[in-house]
Amino acid sequence: MGIWRTLEFEFVAMASPCAIWIDTKKEQLARKSADAAIAEVRRIEQKYSRYQEGSVLSRINREAANSAVAVDSETAELLNFAERLWHASGGCFDISTGVFRRIWDFRRGELPSQSQLDATLPCVGWPKVSWNGTHIHFACKGMEIDFGGIGKEYAADRVAQVLRDHGFEHALVNLGGDVHALGARARPDGSGQPWSIGIRHPRVQEQCLAHLPLHRGGLATSGDYERYFERDGRRYCHILNPLTGMPVTHWQSVSVLSANATSAGAMSSIAMLKEETAIAWLDAQSVSYLAVRSDGQVFTHRVAA
Amino acid sequence: MADTQWVVVVVAATDRAMGSVLAASLMLPGMAILPLSLQAQNLPEHGLIALKMGYFSDSQPGWERVSVRSPQLYALVPIAGEWSLEGSLAGDSVSGATPRMHTFESGATPHMDDYRRAADVKVTRHFARAAVSAGIGFSSELDYKSRALNLQARLSSEDNNTTWAFGYGGARDVIDNQSIGGGAIDQSRRTDEWMVGLTQVMTADDIVQINLTRSVGTGYFNDPYKDFEDRPDYRNVNVALLRWNHYMDSMDASVRASYRLYGDSFGVKSQTLGIEWSKSFHRWTWVPGLRAYSQTAADFYFDPVVDGAGVPSVALTRRFANRLTGHRSADQRLAAYGALAISMKVAFDIDSLTQLDLKVESYRQRSDLQWGGDGSPHLESYNARSLQVGLVHKF
Repeated sequence: MGIWRTLEFEFVAMASPCAIWIDTKKEQLARKSADAAIAEVRRIEQKYSRYQEGSVLSRINREAANSAVAVDSETAELLNFAERLWHASGGCFDISTGVFRRIWDFRRGELPSQSQLDATLPCVGWPKVSWNGTHIHFACKGMEIDFGGIGKEYAADRVAQVLRDHGFEHALVNLGGDVHALGARARPDGSGQPWSIGIRHPRVQEQCLAHLPLHRGGLATSGDYERYFERDGRRYCHILNPLTGMPVTHWQSVSVLSANATSAGAMSSIAMLKEETAIAWLDAQSVSYLAVRSDGQVFTHRVAA
Repeated sequence: MADTQWVVVVVAATDRAMGSVLAASLMLPGMAILPLSLQAQNLPEHGLIALKMGYFSDSQPGWERVSVRSPQLYALVPIAGEWSLEGSLAGDSVSGATPRMHTFESGATPHMDDYRRAADVKVTRHFARAAVSAGIGFSSELDYKSRALNLQARLSSEDNNTTWAFGYGGARDVIDNQSIGGGAIDQSRRTDEWMVGLTQVMTADDIVQINLTRSVGTGYFNDPYKDFEDRPDYRNVNVALLRWNHYMDSMDASVRASYRLYGDSFGVKSQTLGIEWSKSFHRWTWVPGLRAYSQTAADFYFDPVVDGAGVPSVALTRRFANRLTGHRSADQRLAAYGALAISMKVAFDIDSLTQLDLKVESYRQRSDLQWGGDGSPHLESYNARSLQVGLVHKF
């Protein structure tokens, strides 16, 4: 036992800067827990990376068009969750939209042609995926799924569980902006205080639009500034409507506070995809949010920004 | 698909309560164990209650004292996340003899049987990067009463890597032992102490702390149970304390080192070097420690006088002391000596909220342990052992 310290563990995972903060007097245990937590992130990253040949996801994308692929229980739960999100979002949150990557090149900033879109759209859509709870089968060749909008958020919640299992309550997990706070600050100089989470300004780099106090729970932000290009005065971002293959335009960013990072991340993504109806949809989910419309107007609900 | 459809129906039914997306997320592996509430409430920070029992024995050649220290109770109660209240209660039974001059003289010393009661209470207000606290304390023995006041402020930098501390402590003591036949009648002492401290996180593995203390005391400083006691009526003290905590990655252990430099207007200068090593194995924590101490004698300390055979003689020393003018003292604690203490603390986590600890220490004080000197001549060695058992419970 020593004095209260805040230990910060920084690492890079899932192509994002990540950090874990722990307010603790048990330094050795905190270090061990952080190691276990980071190992958990790596495990999820390896299992669901679409860039790693040996990942569970790569195997599904390689084989599911040919035959039904059996999956383990964790993957099954993630697929179940994705399916529920597809229902809850009215079909706009769709884990099969990753195929659009083939025709949208955000690095070079080129618009796909209508014929490219027409050729790709038949390969997109959760209804074309046959999922029975244990086996997944794609209806046509060229389909792909990925856990963008779920995986990193799920990892943040799993890290929170690892830290909780080690007895830590006063900790914060941040995986590339997907945040999970286990409990309030504990250092004697700030005991009971919330963590302060900066929400990035969607148009001014390196600047915060707001700082949200977070005692406990998840916070995630989805925005049109993460990957995008501009052409003829119009911004094309990486969040694509599964029915049209075109980027969303109504919101610059949506931040959602929920009890866990997974649901917060899913809701911020869905709100971006919901465009004009996002606020009504978020209100129906009875969550706190901070949304910035394309004209810069800010909409908040139960957020002390 | 039948199973999935059923789940969707259930989720829809919970829509109003928590939202379908949140409800759906709770079905992911392990997610249900995480708390659902994210209300901006202050988490009840742990309160603490600690009970300590001690056993102490000290000895000089031909003399031994044993005492069982009564329980000491300490409690910390957080209030609304912004305030905390701390308090402690102690009741010591002090029993045994005290040397009249340099060392114990058989039969010549009054037997002491006393009971000490002490209580203090401190209230702290915590801010985002600061805390201020105020406390009062009382201590009472048959021949000695003390009241103390403490004020402290702590301020941290924005990155929390630097912490400044400022403190004031004042004590007012009354010494009166006439009820047990002593010569100290309604004597008083006043002490004011100022402290400034800096704690700096140097690296992820190192914290350094410097504390500087200045205390000014006036009044009665004699030990009323000693003969030939006539000390100055003021004592000013300067203390510098340097601490270094280092975490050893490779061994998953911590080293805590400290150095204390002390000087007072009596002429006593002392240095203390301490080192502790802390290592946890599962629910056990082992903390072996070593402390080395050395001091010079007070300006007015006088050595025992030896006879023709070179043996200290009480009669000759008394005759010599009678003729001394000005300040004088034969108190062994004001002599030049050195000391070594080795200790071992073992703590066991009964569960995540309760810890049991045991500390044993062996202390050895001798003239020839003084650093860079031989210490005061003809000083008997002094040894002490202590054992402390503590139970700490968070609630």
